[in-house]
Amino acid sequence: MIVNEVQLDLPPTPDISLLQQTARKVRATCVQMAHDAQEGHLSGALSCVEILVVLFSYFLRLPNGNPWSAQRDRFVFSKGHACAALYAVLAETGYIPAEWLSGYAVADSPLPNHPCKRALAMLEMSSGSLGHGLGFATGMLYGLKMKNSPARGIVLMSDGECNEGSVWEAAMFARAQRLDRLIAIVDHNNHQAVGKHDELNGFTSLGEKFRSFGWRAVEVDGNDIQELIQILDRVPFAKGRPAAVIAKTKAGAGITFMENDQRWFYRTPTTEDLEAALQELNVRPIHKGQP
Amino acid sequence: MRRAFEETLYQLAAQDERVIFLTGDLGYQVFDRFQRKFGRRYVNVGVAEAQLVNAAAGLAAEGWRPVAYSIAAFATARPYEQIKISVCYPHLPVIIVGAGGGFTYASSGVTHHAADDLALMCTLPGMSVVAPGCPDELRQLMPQMVSAARPFYLRIGKFGEKDYKGATEATLGQARRIRDGQRIALISTGDIASEVLEAVTALEAEGIVPLFYQFHTVKPLDLEAIEELSRRVAAIVVVEEHGLYGGLFSGLCHIKAMHNYDFKLYRLGAPDEFILGNPSRREIRSRLGVDAKAVRQTCREAWNDAAGDETKRICLPKDAR
Repeated sequence: MIVNEVQLDLPPTPDISLLQQTARKVRATCVQMAHDAQEGHLSGALSCVEILVVLFSYFLRLPNGNPWSAQRDRFVFSKGHACAALYAVLAETGYIPAEWLSGYAVADSPLPNHPCKRALAMLEMSSGSLGHGLGFATGMLYGLKMKNSPARGIVLMSDGECNEGSVWEAAMFARAQRLDRLIAIVDHNNHQAVGKHDELNGFTSLGEKFRSFGWRAVEVDGNDIQELIQILDRVPFAKGRPAAVIAKTKAGAGITFMENDQRWFYRTPTTEDLEAALQELNVRPIHKGQP
Repeated sequence: MRRAFEETLYQLAAQDERVIFLTGDLGYQVFDRFQRKFGRRYVNVGVAEAQLVNAAAGLAAEGWRPVAYSIAAFATARPYEQIKISVCYPHLPVIIVGAGGGFTYASSGVTHHAADDLALMCTLPGMSVVAPGCPDELRQLMPQMVSAARPFYLRIGKFGEKDYKGATEATLGQARRIRDGQRIALISTGDIASEVLEAVTALEAEGIVPLFYQFHTVKPLDLEAIEELSRRVAAIVVVEEHGLYGGLFSGLCHIKAMHNYDFKLYRLGAPDEFILGNPSRREIRSRLGVDAKAVRQTCREAWNDAAGDETKRICLPKDAR
């Protein structure tokens, strides 16, 4: 599949329909993985599929597809619980073998149910406890900035994660240090583990919060590949200001009976659920899963 | 010790361009010279300890050697999970510095007391915990910490601690013999060493000569030194400005039980309660019985109690055999 080459000035023209097809395949793979491992957190994995596909198939600069290059963009997957989608995209883009996906959430596998850098070294950091990724990325970017590196830092967070005070400590620091190569993408699916994000925040706006911290923030349809690409092509939005992309998504996106259904935060698919999902998506998973 | 910390940090930063200093908005005027010299390698993250630690970890992941500084009470308990997840889990070379451990900020009250910092940091896998007793010891240990390139917690004192010399130089992970003696031993960590030294000097005039070891490294504990003490003395008096759980005494109990060592234990330290009333540090040390006077009194007891124990009299220190 597509892996970005070094083309710092001329990004490849994306084939939107191909990326949409990739997203469907990744989705099917996520459901298969959740089914096989009987592991939850599926709705938050499905909501961020388009974001991950756009990042790994288009946006991230990983020179020569090398995840170790010093010039690489630092991608921090801070919503660790949704890692089925990350692993599926890494397999789809050739960073990990597709067979590994069968080891999702299996003991001692490189793909545990919360990403572990000591199991999968190409990760920038381990995640699973929310609210650490943004602060960690600000440290990386501060260090990179001192070395005049062109690398950017892209952090994918959940909206529930923004409940954490440490996110706003990091947001304050990022603006104070003018880290305009920092991009926080918030997967705003509005479904937290138990409650709704809006209710828990008193119906206040995530974008407004970032803006009041001196960031430039835009709201987009996070399940729309075209829109995501158009917005990401515009970052940095302003000199000296970090960028927040509030990606409004559907929890369980792409599978009708899961969409915006709170139960699918923890629920795991039965074989019937799997079959129904694969039928709707009309595509096979990347790997050979269990029947 | 705060001054020695700044001077050593300055030297290390001059020698090693990877050294970068982060503060949680503390150290007024202490680091002005550092900031002038090293510019962006001085970072004030604000009153934001989670960010202090996460940013330090991110820098370490990019090859820097961050030193993250706050008051001990705020540098440990507040960002405990950041230290666990962002620093210790990936085993990154970050030095967390807790200024004013124990009851250094006595009169500032319970919010500023840190009789739990060593305990908290000792629970973290891969974390080494260091509490020098005087400026000279800090000067010796800090460069070793930067070279070791792994997670550290460093508890430092305030100002004006008296320097002392040991039988050996200070080496990470090795207890340091400050005075040789017989029959009983005193051990301490951190800047309470000054009270112990004062007591030891006074006791000599009474004919009581305990060994005195400074355990500047609380984790990993020097097992060899404890083994040697178990052969040489009938009793060990532990002096620490720390709570009952998870400090030097607690560590020693663990080792004693595991190895079935035969010596009597005395503990001078903080009780399992908050110290109310915002008294001075001197007053707190006196109230808790961790000052030189209390050390002398306990040593007299231990010395007389151990007088009949003939089994351990003749052992010499290992390096004299």
